[in-house]
Order: sequence, then structure tokens, then C-alpha cells
Amino acid sequence: MKIRLLTLTLLASMATMPVAHADEPLFGYIYTTDTLPKDKSEVEQWATLREGRSQGTFHLLQTRTEYSYGVTDKFQLSGYLNLAWTKVDGNVPDGSTAPPEVFADYNVPSQGSWSRSRLESFSMEAIYRFASPYTSPVGAAVYLEPSLGPRTQELETRLILQSNFLDDRLVFAFNTTIGQERRYLHGDPSADPTSDDYRDHWDKETDVNFGLAGSYRFAPNWSLGAELQNEREWAGFNPFESDKRTNMAWYAGPTLHYGGRHFFMTFTTLFQLHGARDYANPADESFVVHGITNADDFEKYRFRLKLGYYF
Amino acid sequence: MNHRFLLVPVAALVIAAPVQATVYLSVEQAQALMFPGATLAPVPITLTAEQVKSVERASDVNVLSPQVKAWRSPTGGWFIADQVVGKHEFIPFALAIDEHGAVKSVEILEYREAYGDQVRNEAWRAQFVGKTHASPLKLNDDIKNISGATLSSRHMTDGVKRLLAIYELVLAHTNG
Repeated sequence: MKIRLLTLTLLASMATMPVAHADEPLFGYIYTTDTLPKDKSEVEQWATLREGRSQGTFHLLQTRTEYSYGVTDKFQLSGYLNLAWTKVDGNVPDGSTAPPEVFADYNVPSQGSWSRSRLESFSMEAIYRFASPYTSPVGAAVYLEPSLGPRTQELETRLILQSNFLDDRLVFAFNTTIGQERRYLHGDPSADPTSDDYRDHWDKETDVNFGLAGSYRFAPNWSLGAELQNEREWAGFNPFESDKRTNMAWYAGPTLHYGGRHFFMTFTTLFQLHGARDYANPADESFVVHGITNADDFEKYRFRLKLGYYF
Repeated sequence: MNHRFLLVPVAALVIAAPVQATVYLSVEQAQALMFPGATLAPVPITLTAEQVKSVERASDVNVLSPQVKAWRSPTGGWFIADQVVGKHEFIPFALAIDEHGAVKSVEILEYREAYGDQVRNEAWRAQFVGKTHASPLKLNDDIKNISGATLSSRHMTDGVKRLLAIYELVLAHTNG
């Protein structure tokens, strides 16, 4: 895969896209409580580039193609197609090569460059808003997203809170997300022969994320904001077992949103902040280098572009 | 998997067609519709800082601009062209107030959003007729919300409330 080709195609698509008018989402990673009105629909395209580790080469590009439909004014259903491409080389602190989490079910040589693209999963998403931020001090919505892919199953649930100020031009949103996933992994011959990791098995993991974001509409159609995300991982499905904690990291960065009558665009850049933790490994095998974690679902930088069109 | 497969969703994006704002009425057309046959005299007003505070206190609504685009009718009524915050852009509208300070009519001049244009619905706008600065003018109270157009409904309600406060505190005492 030539990443330059994809980038150029994306830029060319944007340059040739007719000027129109449009809408949501305000943020790249944090959700707001807005849903489509009844019987309205939308197509949305995401491209997320996850870049860089403390060492070696790490590129991960994930795309998401989405169709959403307003079942009622408060209830929205969506369907996604998720694709991924990666290129890695010596990206682990000990100098070896390991794939990102979405490719963890592949047998990857521990040395040298490795690249692959794949169908990651199909997802369904349901959002129900039970309080509107336009009529209540705090708007609230719940979100459910099951995903099914080759050797991967995931269920993500999310609580979304939103509060608006200054005639709804200043928006704050807070998300709590719990993602529980099963991934079929090949056995690791170097693992303890009595452990699950030694043989092919379904690996279970729980992700708990807390996200806070704020955005201000500084000119008609244009909003500028910032997002802060705290991501935590547990082995297994119980996020209340502290001895099953594996990783924790912080991300923050700016987000720019254009919303017109039918077309919208959101671009977010997140940087991994210092303060990451590796709870699962001893210090001499830690994935954390200079405060940044290099565990399989983390990287230094994330760039997310969302483009959408309302019908 | 072929890498070019990843480019398919990108191609799916290049589908947007140009969309223009919908202009329903110019200010002159709205004046003719809301005060038929009358010759309106422009009375441009700039609110003082003190008046802005008084209006915001009385209405509990932010004043977006101290400039008030007002016209007076020969019978003592007022026509005001103003705008409220929409989902992405402003929603220009006009308010006609009769000689007793009650709402005569509300017209949406222009609508630039994909959704929420139900605020143009005549029956919904008719809820404002007869309201004065003393009316609650609160969504889900004396003004019904439009599901799926909540932001526009609330901001239009707030906009009318703000203009009625400007009338009561400023225009009613103006000799134009």
C-alpha cells in the first residue's frame, strides 16, 4: 500500500468536492448527543492515521464508511464498514516487530518489516438521546455498537453527556466508553506452556475510555476545539479487577469542524501525553518508554478526518 | 486483500452537490406582507451598553448585536429584522409588533440549514401572535417544541423574546 497515494487521493477528493453546506460531528473522538431527525439519513467517511512509536516504524490507517438513519428524532441507527492497513518494523521497545491490535490475529515475523491490509469489521450503532442539550442544562444519550470481523467480536457501550453555552455556540461533551472485545489469537511458542497464550485461543479485553472535549463556533460554519482522552485496558471482561489492568494512556489535541447545510468535515489531531502506564509487564519489559506506551493499541499520534453528507 | 480496496470509500465521498441558502423573503417583501399597504419609516437604533444589559436581564436572552434594524408603521406598530443562531449559520427573521406591543406576526426570511426548517410552519409561528414582553415565551411552556428542530425552535423563541424586551425597554419610548 502506498500511503502517499491514499493521502493524495483524499486531498484530491477534498479539493474537487463542491462547496455545499452541512453539520455534525463536532469532534473526532468524542461523541455529542445530536441524532438525525426522523427519516433523515447521512453518509460519513472516516480516515484515521495512527503514527509513530518510540522506536522503529509504525503506520496504521483505519477507514470507516458509515450510513446513518434517523428512526425517530431521538433514535439513530448506523451501519459501518471498517478497513485497515498497517506497516510496522522494529516497533517494540526491544527492537522486535509486532502488529497493531487490529492485526494481532496474524502470525508476524518478530524481525523485519511487515505490512498488510484487511477488512477489520462490520459494525452496527444505535444512539438514543433521552435529554436534549437545547432544552436541558445537560443533554444525555446512550450508544451501543456491536462489531463483527474476521476473528474479532466487540461490543462498545457509551454514555454521552453534553452541555451548551453562549447560544449553543460553545459545546462541551463528556463520554464514558466501555468496549469489550474477543480476538482469536495464534499460540505464542515462547509463552508459558501452561498458559492460554501458548495455544490458539480467544483473547478477551476490556477498554474503558473517558473523553472530554470542548468546541466554540468562532465563525458561521466553523468550530475550533480540543479533546482529551484517557484510555485504559484490562485483560478479561471485568474492568473492576485491578490486577487485570494492562495499559493506560492519555491523548489530547485540537479539532477543527466545518458544518454547512449538507456537508461537514472534522479534522482532529491527538498526541499521546506523558504519563502512560504498563501494568502487565515488569519494568525491564515495559512497553512504556519516556512516558509513552508502545502497547499494541497505542501510538504517538492520531490524525482523524471525517467527511459527511446529509440527505 | 488488494490495497486499492482502501480507496473505495474515498471515492464514495465525492458526491456532494452545491447547495445554496433558501431565501424566502427579502426585508422589503416581509414588510409588505406584515404591514400591507403601509409605508414604514426606518428607525435604526444602537443599544447602549446599559440597554443591552437591561434587555438581557428582562429577557434572559443574549443580545447578539446592539444594532437594531427597526421600522415604524404610521399606526405605531414596529417591524424589526433580526437573526438568531442556527445550527451552523444565523437564521434571519422578521417580527411585526402592533401598536399595543403584541406580536402581530413572525416571518423566517432565510433558512440555511439542512434540518429544522419546520420553524417556517405557519401554525408554529402563529403561536407567537398576541405575545407581549410579559408572556413567558418559553419552549415547552407557552411555545410548543418541534421535535427534530429543537435548536431552531428554541432560538426563534428566544429571538422573539429578546425583541419584545427591546420593544418594551427602548422602542416604545422612541419617537421615530
